[in-house]
Amino acid sequence: MPEPLLRVENLRVEFKTDDGLVQAVNDVSFDLFPGETLGIVGESGSGKSVTNLAIMGLVPRPPGRVVAGRALYHGKDLLQLPERELSDLRGKKIAMIFQDPMTALNPFLTIAEQLTEVTQLHLGYSHQQAISHAITMLEKVGIPGAAQRLWDYPHQFSGGMQQRVMIAMALSCKPDILIADEPTTALDVTIQAQILELLRNLQTELNMSVILITHDLGVVAQVCHRVIVMYAGRIVEEATANSLFADPRHPYTLGLMQSAPRLDHARAERLHAIEGQPPDMTQLPAGCAFAPRCPFAVEESWHQQPPLAGRPGGGRLACFVDITKAPRKAAR
Amino acid sequence: MLWYLVKRIIWMAGTLWVVFTLTWFLMRAVPGGPFDAEKKIPEEIRRNIEARYKLDQPLHVQYLDNLAHVIRLDFGPSFKLLDYPVNRVIAEGFPVSASLGVFAMIFALTLGLTAGVASAIGRRTAYDYGFMALATVGVAVPNFVLASLAIVLFVFYLGWFPAAGWGTLRQIALPAICLGAPFAGYIARLTRTGMLEVLGQDYIRTAYAKGLRHRRVIVRHALRGAILPVVSYLGPAVAAILTGSIVIERIFALPGLGIHFIEAATQRDYTLAMGMVLVYTFLLFVMNTLVDLSYGLIDPRVKLK
Amino acid sequence: MAHVETKPETQAARSDLPPADRYASLLEEARKLHGVSHMQDAWRRLRRNWAAMASLAFLVLMSVAAVLTPLVPLQSPILQDLENRQFLPPNASSRTLQLTSDGETKTLTQLLAEFRQEIERLEQDARTASPEERVKIQEEIDARYAVEHPYQKFWHQPDWLAWRLTDLRIILFGDWCLPSLCGADALGRDLLARLFWGGRVSLVVGVVATLVSLLIGVSYGATAGFLGGWVDDVMMRIVDVLYSVPFLFVVIFLITILTEETIKTEYLEPYGIDQIMIFYVVIGAIYWLTMARVVRGQVISLKNEQFVDAARVIGAGSFRIIFRHLIPNVMGIVIVYLTLTIPAVMLFESFLSFLGLGISPPDVSWGLLVNEGIQVITPIKIYWWLVLFPSLTLTLTLFALNFFGDGLRDALDPKMKNR
Ligand SMILES: Nc1ncnc2c1ncn2[C@@H]1O[C@H](COP(=O)(O)OP(=O)(O)OP(=O)(O)O)[C@@H](O)[C@H]1O
Ligand SMILES: [Mg+2]
Repeated sequence: MPEPLLRVENLRVEFKTDDGLVQAVNDVSFDLFPGETLGIVGESGSGKSVTNLAIMGLVPRPPGRVVAGRALYHGKDLLQLPERELSDLRGKKIAMIFQDPMTALNPFLTIAEQLTEVTQLHLGYSHQQAISHAITMLEKVGIPGAAQRLWDYPHQFSGGMQQRVMIAMALSCKPDILIADEPTTALDVTIQAQILELLRNLQTELNMSVILITHDLGVVAQVCHRVIVMYAGRIVEEATANSLFADPRHPYTLGLMQSAPRLDHARAERLHAIEGQPPDMTQLPAGCAFAPRCPFAVEESWHQQPPLAGRPGGGRLACFVDITKAPRKAAR
Repeated sequence: MLWYLVKRIIWMAGTLWVVFTLTWFLMRAVPGGPFDAEKKIPEEIRRNIEARYKLDQPLHVQYLDNLAHVIRLDFGPSFKLLDYPVNRVIAEGFPVSASLGVFAMIFALTLGLTAGVASAIGRRTAYDYGFMALATVGVAVPNFVLASLAIVLFVFYLGWFPAAGWGTLRQIALPAICLGAPFAGYIARLTRTGMLEVLGQDYIRTAYAKGLRHRRVIVRHALRGAILPVVSYLGPAVAAILTGSIVIERIFALPGLGIHFIEAATQRDYTLAMGMVLVYTFLLFVMNTLVDLSYGLIDPRVKLK
Repeated sequence: MAHVETKPETQAARSDLPPADRYASLLEEARKLHGVSHMQDAWRRLRRNWAAMASLAFLVLMSVAAVLTPLVPLQSPILQDLENRQFLPPNASSRTLQLTSDGETKTLTQLLAEFRQEIERLEQDARTASPEERVKIQEEIDARYAVEHPYQKFWHQPDWLAWRLTDLRIILFGDWCLPSLCGADALGRDLLARLFWGGRVSLVVGVVATLVSLLIGVSYGATAGFLGGWVDDVMMRIVDVLYSVPFLFVVIFLITILTEETIKTEYLEPYGIDQIMIFYVVIGAIYWLTMARVVRGQVISLKNEQFVDAARVIGAGSFRIIFRHLIPNVMGIVIVYLTLTIPAVMLFESFLSFLGLGISPPDVSWGLLVNEGIQVITPIKIYWWLVLFPSLTLTLTLFALNFFGDGLRDALDPKMKNR
């Protein structure tokens, strides 16, 4: 097994809110290997974004706080790094793109201003160099007439184009790791496919590792090598994409797959939405957080946290039950 | 852009015309008003006025004739001051009022923006609370009260500033500060609110994710959005500064427009007062247009129509 | 503002009712949702804001003090004493209400007794006189009340309420009055008393002028917003034009003309219009612009909501809808603007009075008092109390009003909190 590029250990993040303490990320550990695409899936509020913001040192503070854990990158713990050193890595070695390109770009600055400042800062480019590099990057992400569009403002671009600009910006310094937080959620379906295709091509070209956060299992199936499934701030299952799709082992993963619209299935087949509501993050139960919605839950699930251990068929799994054998019950 | 300017100018002409007509008819038509024949005014002035206002002609001729004069920027003779046309009063007072206003504005902007940004960055710290308490005081204390207390304290008691006079920076400083203080307070609050709002925006997170340092994020990415509310406040602020300058000029005995206006009003020098109203309307319009233009410069999404 | 959220179940449950009744009940529900619970919420939030609550307490105290000023054992705000009390610094030696005329000093109670005796004598005469004479005597009695009554010498034209309260005060405190805690002014008048009486005027101007602006602004804005279309366009254009007029100057111009001697005596006073009243109207007429805009905006956003349709279906006419349904719903925002307009108006009043264009002596207001204080400052001698105390009362009141207004806005619109 190769050395991981990034190793996250026992990450724990809390938010102090008016309603109480939100335990957004709970004891999350995972590795990211060079050149791979790691998918992170889970319902809204399951802690996907916060996990990655924590790695970048971008958890808004207050109200947020990283209470425990390590994030090792080339032997350095990103969570302990002084702000100066961390900001040297951000954008240069670890880059991030966000869900909504419309709001993620600064509306007051031209694309040129926003693109060039990264390379000038991290690579010490002169203004001229930075401009021509920016043009190259824009061409690379498929923006026609890059040399002129450079002087436009974000609002003069379409959503898809804006996301391309974001990607160009993130990849300007050829980072080792790209964290893409739902890069396609805000876009039209056809544009989504183009952006994913673009990301995949660029990944092979630049040989970087990608963490791809998404709700969309279809996206995961298309581009990810390995997948982490998160629920209520915890990892509940982790496996290679093939293994996960062929043989989901956690009831939640199974639920997700059954609720995902599949193009290859007949329309008539009714979608199974997972029943019940996501848990209240301020008052997580002592046992498995999924138990109240779980058709397989056993007595233990209610009282004890299932450990994240070896998964049959490779990977990790946090469940007391072997769902391939256990009987399905009506959820309580 | 050009179209916008043309439109503004037409608007301005319209507004000025409305103001002129209103004041003129009030002045002219009101019995016991300035043109009442029984009024006792010095003979020379009466002759001047009769010649200037063509009092022997029918009303509409008078009105049109007057309008023509005003369009040529000739506001006629003063009503009270012998041989002293309104234009001259304005020409003498304007530089004083303008420099007072400009200094006050510079003071308000510098202090307000700095304090606002500092408060927003150090949110919920002692700085923040301190600045905001001060800003609230600044906003709530009427500027004539502030000026009065300042005179008692700094001029008479401590003797740091000269009591009156005009010309040197030391003489301008205290009046300008007193005039600018409430605006500094308000601008500080607006800036703080704007900054906090902007700092919560996605594009600020993007800027940090790019590896930019704190200072650069604030200065380059956050500041512009944060001062937009301040820019739109500048219009009303200019109006209020024009107003405020009246009291300040009076308290500090500065020979500006405002003091003439008050004199004109209390001594019922109608022609002077009317000229002043027109000048102030004009000033307000110009400033508002400038503010709109700068808004368009700062925010590329705004298209002036 | 909260939105009307009619739960699907309640709607479904009512669907068996005939339409008009159903709408009426919907309307009722909407009103409840909008009004009561929202207001209670806001009140709960407001109560947690100590600055706003302290301000509220201060303002209530201030208003009570303003209304009950005649009851407070103050010295006379108008009696002058150039020999003994000119520029008297603040002190605590106690005083009696007394008047010196022709070298003879009498207390108010003595004067009152004398006056009453005289009136009684006149009334006695009246009893024995012929009917015509009786009328004459009655007239004389009235004239004496209006001119010679001791109250008229101690206070400037006391109104009915002030008169009654002063009676009560004499019963409670007799001739005793508070010492000159705030000193005396250039004419030897007691500053504390003048502050109280000035506060009365300032607060009344603030409230009444604001109400005038409220009346104009709300009706104008609601009408424009509700009628919509070209009417709205025209009405708002007018507001735009008015916005770009520097009002202060026009107002000063107006006041100059309206206070011209001939106009005052011939055209206004016969109708009982005095300067203060002109003041209310003129100030109110400036401050309605923002109110009109805000209300219009609110009305437009509200008018597409269910309950207005509901009202229309049950056959309520336009005006009824405006005044019965829409206005109660824009109340929240209006109250906020009200609390923010009052200090603006008071500031404006004090500003004009300060310039000598507003309240004129012998009436007093805080702005006037500050001005009087400034006038007598000389490099040689600083009568600090004459500047400090009026400034302080004015500023504190404005402060409290601003704080309370801000707090109220936060309470009604919690999204704006933490800013
Ligand atoms: N700034 C914040 N303040 C308070 N709580 C927050 C904040 N950011 C995130 N949280 C909480 O942290 C939890 C995890 O949020 P996170 O954004 O990581 O979810 P997510 O999995 O990315 O969801 P989505 O798919 O909607 O992006 C949520 O319960 C959320 O309420
Ligand atoms: Mg997210």
